[in-house]
Amino acid sequence: MTVGTGTARVTLSQREFLGLSPDRLFVVVSRVTALVALCVALAVFTPYFLTWSNIINVLRHAAPLFLMSAGLTLVVLTGGIDLSVGAVLGLAACIAASLITSGFPVFGVVAALAVGLSCGLVNGLLVAYARIPSFIATYGMLWIANGLAYVFMKGEVIYGLPAPFRVIGTGFAGPIPVPVLIMIGTIIVLHVVLHRTRLGRGIYAIGGNPVAARLSGMPVQRRLVFVYAMSGLMASFAALVVIARTNAADVSLGEEQLLPAIAAVCLGGTSLFGGVGGVAGTAVGSLILALVLNGMNLLGVKTFWQAGVLGVIILLSVMADQLVGRRINRGTT
Amino acid sequence: MLLNRRQFATATMSVGAATALGALPFAGAIGQGKKATIAFFVKNVTNPFWKACRIGAEKAGKEFNVTLEVVAPTKPDNIEEQTRLVEDWIVKKPDAFVFVPVDYKALVPSIQKANKAGIPIVNYNNIMTDIEKVTFIGSDDEYLEYEICKSLFKSMNGKGKVVHIDGVPAAITAQNRKKGFERAVKDFPGIEVLASQPGQYRRLPAQQVFENLMQRFPEIDAVVSANDDMAVGIVEALHAAGRGGKTKVIGIDGIPDAIQAIAEGKMFATVDFSGHDQAYLAVQAAVRHLKGEKIPPLVMLPVFIIDKGNVGTVARTPEERKVPSWEQATRKA
Repeated sequence: MTVGTGTARVTLSQREFLGLSPDRLFVVVSRVTALVALCVALAVFTPYFLTWSNIINVLRHAAPLFLMSAGLTLVVLTGGIDLSVGAVLGLAACIAASLITSGFPVFGVVAALAVGLSCGLVNGLLVAYARIPSFIATYGMLWIANGLAYVFMKGEVIYGLPAPFRVIGTGFAGPIPVPVLIMIGTIIVLHVVLHRTRLGRGIYAIGGNPVAARLSGMPVQRRLVFVYAMSGLMASFAALVVIARTNAADVSLGEEQLLPAIAAVCLGGTSLFGGVGGVAGTAVGSLILALVLNGMNLLGVKTFWQAGVLGVIILLSVMADQLVGRRINRGTT
Repeated sequence: MLLNRRQFATATMSVGAATALGALPFAGAIGQGKKATIAFFVKNVTNPFWKACRIGAEKAGKEFNVTLEVVAPTKPDNIEEQTRLVEDWIVKKPDAFVFVPVDYKALVPSIQKANKAGIPIVNYNNIMTDIEKVTFIGSDDEYLEYEICKSLFKSMNGKGKVVHIDGVPAAITAQNRKKGFERAVKDFPGIEVLASQPGQYRRLPAQQVFENLMQRFPEIDAVVSANDDMAVGIVEALHAAGRGGKTKVIGIDGIPDAIQAIAEGKMFATVDFSGHDQAYLAVQAAVRHLKGEKIPPLVMLPVFIIDKGNVGTVARTPEERKVPSWEQATRKA
């Protein structure tokens, strides 16, 4: 893809739909195909699936994973990776929970977000200026954040958060859960940033061709610092939603979240090589992962089969996307 | 630690001299005023259960005037890392190991090496076979789950619809707890098992799995959860859905927030796995062995169910807990 250069900009403005160029539109459409196929299959196999309360339930399950993956998506778009999102989520959760239960709710929230942002900033500086590969820089940060959380918590679990704070995880605005509203808001904001601002187009350009981006005079290093900082910030934001939901925080909170977060980004059609994808796709990816668990629970898939079933469905959904994507491409060109 | 040539020579000479004089008969070290060192192993520093163990062990360390070195993998329950730690500690040669394996089979070869090195092993919490050990001090997962399920089913007059939330499917503790649950279900023909799904021993996954199950089952009389962390998550899910108080939830471990939930009437019961007592007695067993006392080869702690009736008398934190009596514990065995 050559988004960001003068000619591509012209083509975009002529043919884009909802801010998406045709080829990226295929990716989104095909992801939605996989999502819809999964929903139809579940609706056929279990009568409990297609109910309002279950749909709300699935959306709510997808929200924390999406928030964590949303920042990660920006990093992946530049062709990098952030392995520290899970650990940063855990650290931010512990700091927030500790301060909030000690009677400093506002300070707790601000401190958690600041810690997430700082971890991300350090990642960004290491990648952009110290030229450390993102895999290594963020792997280091994973252990630093884990280590800080261990020292901070000393094996403790903090529980019993105040009700007003818990609204962001368990509250409802009318029929819609608050985390789902946060998710929708995040999708809109990040989508606009990515597709309607110079900053956003720059992120795609860096992932598409970093050398060309630099030669065209783009502040590549500053853009990189921005995406890693956003990733850290979003992870700490996800931490707030998670602890508001579970009413407890411990250091290993984010541990099992890293791979699902990366999977959500990839399932949503964002290429690990950078330059292709977006946050809307990541939302679809998070929904697919939440749906698979929901479906297995509703169908009563036996414990030992669940891991295998999860793997097969992920692979099938990606294969379905590629098939549909190829068809659409062939149809139009 | 690497020794330089001079340190090595000094060390060799002093060991040689000591051996020649016969001044340090191994088992007698403790009686002769030299402070013994005990390497005390835990599975991780994240779960509060192991914190309770550490506190119990430290109490024994202080009481019997031994140096206690707590040894924990930085990556929770990591087999490879614990294997390395065991090897490191064989080299350091403490007076005894008080040991819990992160995996009861995988660690056998490492502990056999410690056997060869002549380090006495007190095994606690998870029993190991094919090794030489002074004793095993612990509890039986299957028996604990069986007893607490029986007390739950009796309170339901032997009939009702039950959901089982499993731990990490591959963990031996989860498998044994499930066996205990199934044995209790067999004893009560009026109990119907609606579903058995894995919650990974963790609060957030268990909460999400249970929310999915609530979509399918509008009426659930009781939930048997394989540990307390998940049980508290399930209690949260029930209350968030406005179904609190109608469903009896049980767990295992006796963690502080489960005890809190029982005191508030939100949770039915838990059974004390009592890491504090196990670790305290295990360190004491090591000390007694070093003094040359004879130790019974197997010490099983009695089952202690915490419910509404006795929750007021239970210490919330391991720090406040009274230490068990050695005589009582070994008499029961």
